[in-house]
Amino acid sequence: MNTFALKRIKDLFWVLAIAGLVVGVGRFAFGLGASTNMLDSLPWGLWKIFNMIAGAALATSGFVLASVIYILQLDRFRPVARLSIVIGFLGYGSSLTALVFDVGLPHRGWHPLFMWNPHSFLFEVFWCVSCYWSITALELVPIITERFRLNKFTHFMHEIMLPFVILGITLSTMHHSSLGSLFLASPTRLHPLWHTMWLPPEFFLSAMGAGLALIIFVSLACAWLYGRKTDMVILGKLAKVQTVILLIYLVVKVIDLTVHGKWNYVFGADASWESAVFGVEILLQAIGPIAILAVPKLRKQVPWLMVASIAALIGLLMHRLDTGIVGYFRSAGQIYLPNLSEYILSFGVLSAAGLIFFFLVERFPIFDAPEEEGHHDDDEAPHLDGADGPIPVFWSRDEARTVFLGRGGIRAIFITLLIIPVAWLCLKQEATGAFRPIAVPVKATIGLDPLRATLRIDGNRANEAVDFPHDKHKQELGGDASCIKCHHLSLPGDNSTACYMCHGDMGTFTEIFDHDAHQQRHGGDDSCATCHDPDMPESAETAKACIDCHRENMVGIEKQTLKGYSHLAAGYKVAMHGLCITCHRLKEKDPADPLGMGNCQKCHPLNEGSPGEE
Amino acid sequence: MSRALSDKKPMMKGILTDVTKCIGCERCVEACVQVNKLSHDFPAHFKAGDGLSGQRLTSIVKTPGKKSGTWTMVRRQCMHCVEPSCVSACLVGAFVKRPDGPVVYDASKCIGCRYCMLACPFMIPRYEYEEPLPYVRKCKMNEECRVAGGMPACTSICPTGATIFGPREKLIEEARRRIREKPDLYIDHIFGEHEFGGTSVMYISDVPLGAPLRMPTKEEFAKRAVPRMAEGESIPDSIHDWVLVTPFQFLGVFTGLFGTWLFRRRSKLMAEKRRQEMEAAEETEAESGDTVDPMFRIVEPPIDDGEGK
Repeated sequence: MNTFALKRIKDLFWVLAIAGLVVGVGRFAFGLGASTNMLDSLPWGLWKIFNMIAGAALATSGFVLASVIYILQLDRFRPVARLSIVIGFLGYGSSLTALVFDVGLPHRGWHPLFMWNPHSFLFEVFWCVSCYWSITALELVPIITERFRLNKFTHFMHEIMLPFVILGITLSTMHHSSLGSLFLASPTRLHPLWHTMWLPPEFFLSAMGAGLALIIFVSLACAWLYGRKTDMVILGKLAKVQTVILLIYLVVKVIDLTVHGKWNYVFGADASWESAVFGVEILLQAIGPIAILAVPKLRKQVPWLMVASIAALIGLLMHRLDTGIVGYFRSAGQIYLPNLSEYILSFGVLSAAGLIFFFLVERFPIFDAPEEEGHHDDDEAPHLDGADGPIPVFWSRDEARTVFLGRGGIRAIFITLLIIPVAWLCLKQEATGAFRPIAVPVKATIGLDPLRATLRIDGNRANEAVDFPHDKHKQELGGDASCIKCHHLSLPGDNSTACYMCHGDMGTFTEIFDHDAHQQRHGGDDSCATCHDPDMPESAETAKACIDCHRENMVGIEKQTLKGYSHLAAGYKVAMHGLCITCHRLKEKDPADPLGMGNCQKCHPLNEGSPGEE
Repeated sequence: MSRALSDKKPMMKGILTDVTKCIGCERCVEACVQVNKLSHDFPAHFKAGDGLSGQRLTSIVKTPGKKSGTWTMVRRQCMHCVEPSCVSACLVGAFVKRPDGPVVYDASKCIGCRYCMLACPFMIPRYEYEEPLPYVRKCKMNEECRVAGGMPACTSICPTGATIFGPREKLIEEARRRIREKPDLYIDHIFGEHEFGGTSVMYISDVPLGAPLRMPTKEEFAKRAVPRMAEGESIPDSIHDWVLVTPFQFLGVFTGLFGTWLFRRRSKLMAEKRRQEMEAAEETEAESGDTVDPMFRIVEPPIDDGEGK
């Protein structure tokens, strides 16, 4: 066995799993907006599409082999039966774990049990996946109990298993097609290359092909890691079945493109970058593996088998990610790329599943009784072999313990303890960054008027200015004493700071509060309590509002009194509308007012839109 | 036209927006913010750039006007579809289409899966990503935002009468009348009359509104290989066949699997019996009885070494 590689892989899995846990806690502390890059236009991100939808597809092996072994009763596939059950259990388990972090209100996960909407495909997926996962757990029970020599119970479990196996396969066929049906609801948003009314059968076929690819991959990887002999005959037969399934998938896809007249999206006039993605996807998912596995000679060689199964797995991942995410880019007009926290949690959950996999494989008879021990009884219940004979572990148990929780694991935990504060800080940075206003200062164009009798204002830099009669306003509002009515908050030492100094962006908020200056003025680090409540976490939300101190300098702006928002100045447009129109609307009621500036149509003339926007 | 449309037509209320009258003053947005007690709308990476968010349930977007260099203002809000995709998509049934028009959302049921956001063809539902306990938010058009006179606040405040509220049937009549009176101004099409099975919120315009409203034309539907939707089929109708298949799929697969198992088991048992009879003839030894009917047992025979090596 390859102890070195095994140790390194376990180290990596420990690091990823614990980092994933940190990110998971951060997601609940800071919310989805801070910890993910998911968008309003692309609401399903990596966790749902990669972990749930692609993960479920890859864990198909359980039901494909269950149907081959239990229903068709082809006993030659039996050596990989337990492996497929474990993959199914861990695959679905990790998918559901990722969903706990992805769903907005996971504490309401029980709702679909009582609140039904049978028209929803997601409802069907929920029921099928949760039932199927319970069944894989049930199938796992005899393997566990066998190890502890609970012979009677194990025997009993084997007796009652059949109806559950059949139910499990049925649920599998249903939810694999339903996972495809989910995207039928986006006929106009999903790119035509991936949206087709044939999504349910295509998802079902591709999931079966990829499930077989995964079991070949895991068998080969375990053979390499644990130094076991590879049973190339069984793997060759699995590969043959996989080839047939992928060939059917390819044929269905070609007919689909032809019948629906979509070849123009692949080669023709409507080809775009999506066509290239689609081409690579089909090449990896179907054409490549078929080309390799269709040759009997290549099918019997480990490297080729490995290449083919890895290609098929990447192809399947691409298909699911394209259908769930990439295909929506064009209609959304935005691009979603997962951020670091999303990757860490995704792979952290998978790594945790991988660690449990290693644990099960090392402690329980997953690969069946090894052949070299030659322990075959031809009696009525040969499945009790492991219980009667020696417990099948593949090396001394002390060594297994060393590998699993020995120095390698402890080192990994130590490394991760160092990662935790770094990951936390990164998350926090993103949490605050998500809502940081993006200030793009807009300079007001002041007319060449030293007395400021008339200001020429071009707020949005559209080369369309308004001549603002500054003097006239001053006179009307009451001379020099009236400055404060409009210049509601001036910079220190200034009496009439220009609007654009704070309202620096046309549309969005600008941060105007200088924390350092306030801190210095009030006496450094000891002065926090001057503004912040000492019993509360220190943030803008819990601090004193600006107007509490600057009452004299801040007049006539009720909105700014809002606690928690006073460090932000509104966008230029909102600020000018708020100040001018509020006043002019009062004036509008005065019949003597000739201007009618409170009337929207005065500035926004009918059928021409807003003047000079952008 | 979809089936439900003819059933629900008489009492269903809706909104008609005449974009030629809209001046983009955003007073509807202001009224919506006031009546729904919405908070500030801060920029954030997850917002779609069309003004809608968890805190803005309606917004004004711009599209190039008829004359070059001008803009036409289009109000975006929930379309309150006659057969909404979100209602059929939500797995807990948090969305309901009320017979009097509005599509309402029950936050107490929502689990936050965001499938409604993916399923809505108009990309209307928005998520409160910034909240620790986030909900979906969208335009309500129900009693919560009605002001005196029974009108939604957004339509009652409009200074030019560009957006009006009333029974859907009457609104279509009014739209037809306007188009008939000024055929040079308007495009002869009521946006939302038939698209996606019809919507309660409709638009008439002098410029195409396909892009700002995310409402494809018939040709675009046909090009996307959903020709029945070009004829006004709703999304729930278009996937209804697959929904109907589900119970039959369950029964069919289950029975098929059980039948196959039974058949294979039978042939195996018969082969076994033949072998036993031959053995019995040779050794004349009776085997010990088994309490379990061998018919209903999964027996794991040994690995077939002949195949395996």
